[in-house]
Amino acid sequence: MLFKTQKIAYPYFVIALLLFVLQVVVGLWLSVNYFATVPQSVVDVFPFSTARAIHTNLLVLWLLLGFMGATFYLIPEETGRELEWPRLALAQLALLSVTGVVAIVGFIFGWTQGRPLLEIPRPLDLAVVVGALMFLANVGITVLKARRWTVTQGSLLGGLTFLALLYLIGIPFYSNTAVDWYYWWWVIHLWVEGAWELIAAALTSFLLIKMTGVHRSVVEKWLYVELGLFLLTGIAGTGHHYYWLGAPRYWLWVGGFFSALEPFPILLMVVDTYRHTREGSHGFRPRLTWVYLLGGVVLHFVGAGLFGFAHTLPQINYYTHGSQVTTSHGHLAFFGAYVLLNLTFFYFAMPRLKDLPGDCGFEEKLGHWGFWTTSLGVLGMSLAFAVAGVLQTYLERMQGQDYMATQAPIRFWMFVVFLHGLVVVAGVVMTVWHLLTLRPAAAATASSTARQGENIAIEAV
Amino acid sequence: MTEKEEAVKEKTAKWVFWGGTLASLALFLGLTIETHRQFDALTHADKLSLEVVAGKRAFEKHNCNDCHTVLGFGAYYAPDLTRAYNRLGETTIRRRLENPEVVFANSFRKMPNQGLSEEEVTNITAYLAWISGIENNDWPPQHSEGTWKRSTERILAAAAMSPGAALIKQEQCLSCHKLGDSGAAIGTRFEWIGKRRNALSIAEFLVDAEKYAPGCGMPSYTHLSAEQRQSVAQFITALSAKPGR
Repeated sequence: MLFKTQKIAYPYFVIALLLFVLQVVVGLWLSVNYFATVPQSVVDVFPFSTARAIHTNLLVLWLLLGFMGATFYLIPEETGRELEWPRLALAQLALLSVTGVVAIVGFIFGWTQGRPLLEIPRPLDLAVVVGALMFLANVGITVLKARRWTVTQGSLLGGLTFLALLYLIGIPFYSNTAVDWYYWWWVIHLWVEGAWELIAAALTSFLLIKMTGVHRSVVEKWLYVELGLFLLTGIAGTGHHYYWLGAPRYWLWVGGFFSALEPFPILLMVVDTYRHTREGSHGFRPRLTWVYLLGGVVLHFVGAGLFGFAHTLPQINYYTHGSQVTTSHGHLAFFGAYVLLNLTFFYFAMPRLKDLPGDCGFEEKLGHWGFWTTSLGVLGMSLAFAVAGVLQTYLERMQGQDYMATQAPIRFWMFVVFLHGLVVVAGVVMTVWHLLTLRPAAAATASSTARQGENIAIEAV
Repeated sequence: MTEKEEAVKEKTAKWVFWGGTLASLALFLGLTIETHRQFDALTHADKLSLEVVAGKRAFEKHNCNDCHTVLGFGAYYAPDLTRAYNRLGETTIRRRLENPEVVFANSFRKMPNQGLSEEEVTNITAYLAWISGIENNDWPPQHSEGTWKRSTERILAAAAMSPGAALIKQEQCLSCHKLGDSGAAIGTRFEWIGKRRNALSIAEFLVDAEKYAPGCGMPSYTHLSAEQRQSVAQFITALSAKPGR
């Protein structure tokens, strides 16, 4: 850690991690709803819909808090300047956390906007917008005053601004359902396959520059290419959500073509990341961070790239659309692309924020357990969802059986999902516990000469 | 630095970024404008009455979409509602909205009773009726109008000789039920019933509908003989398309 104000990232990470635990616990309850019969008296008070709103909103909230924390850590180091308004950053965290808690308690009492993933009621949307403005103003003014422009910074700031602007599109009430969904996807799709990819690519390139010793110009040159391909395929690729909502038929062509190309930029990211970690002038340490970074890009590719491609073509999507196949893709993609990236950044930043002695190495064992338990749990869960999805697709969509009739054989696979959910909860608890109680490695002091991250930062300034 | 990396000059990299982004954005925004020109026709926006819009608001207020999908979007915990009006008809939908705990008493998955007002039930039903008319490339496949049409056309062609078909005409069943592309969506679609029920239970239902579906408002057909009820039931079960495509 080079700058005092980077410390602000810490409370962001802590709150994000606690929300993460809550999110997976609620997820476990959702899977129970699928294989067990929840009695009417419980359903009337706490229906599936409420739990789902909590599960998804917690996901978005903690990932965004993680990104924001990461930004507060990154910006001083990239600009070579303290954050302009550190107190505002803390006020922003308080505002967003309180808004999140109020929203979730509100869901339980039926206070909702009632649109999937955008359930936060409109008055609370205002608080979110204020929080986003505080954030952008704070980061923006720091960057402007520093007058030091890097591609990494630009990509991050561009992604964050894009993200905030798109949120506005999700606020109004649209009376025409087709138009409503058309713009709903501007928030959901253009977030995860646009704005968030910019943020993810920026954070990844920052980590690579800091940790591998590969020269900035090389990393950033490839960052440009990746971003270009992400946006080329991602923006027009929104069309793969427009096949069946009452939009013209040409979207089948546009959506099919561009989204078929979407795996390529992710593949490029995997190759680049792998190469950079190999070519770096010094070894990638600690090893756990390397495992997270590589694991993240690989599962990003499998979950978003391959599982996404599997049902993106209109000929296939006609049968799989709106089935458990989507759930399978959604879980693995979010985990690989954004959960693991956040955790990678936490593992990079937290030892530095805690100023652990000896090259910021730490006792890694529990962290490895956490990584493998969680990752294998989510992977197994996604495969179980996939089996359920294929069953549903065949029985309901192709054979034309009644929906509830097709849910009966799926119950078993949802029980398998639940079992993997238990594994995931255990893994997440391990990971969060490990991150919050990082201890210096036993033989930390002797190994290397200076802190890699700082060296490169100084060299770059 | 490898040779390959050096080959891609930074200028080219920038060009890829701006070229790719702007091209995709231009195409996307252009098509968005074009799509807006067609939305009204494809969604029959002229039928978006106050009632329908109020129905959408009620639908959102009760967070229906976090269990059900509409147009395939939402949660996958309960059936898709895109063509719900076309297959279930008005009274069935109303009964499910009003008394889900009764309708789904024997189901392993429940629907919450959210205490909807009479007005909300009417509005949500109107909303679902409007949605069922959206022209969305004939999705979902299991409720494809095209498949319904083809299967009934075949059967109607042979139905002239069927006593069941003659009785359905005589009793004016189609003034409430849908069959192929004719009939009214007040009661449940015949093909849908045929797929889910056997002839025996349909014949029983004709004797006393209120007993099996309280509040459905269907008259009893005790003025028909047991054989006649049986032939109506057999006609309806014969309508169900064979599994598979």
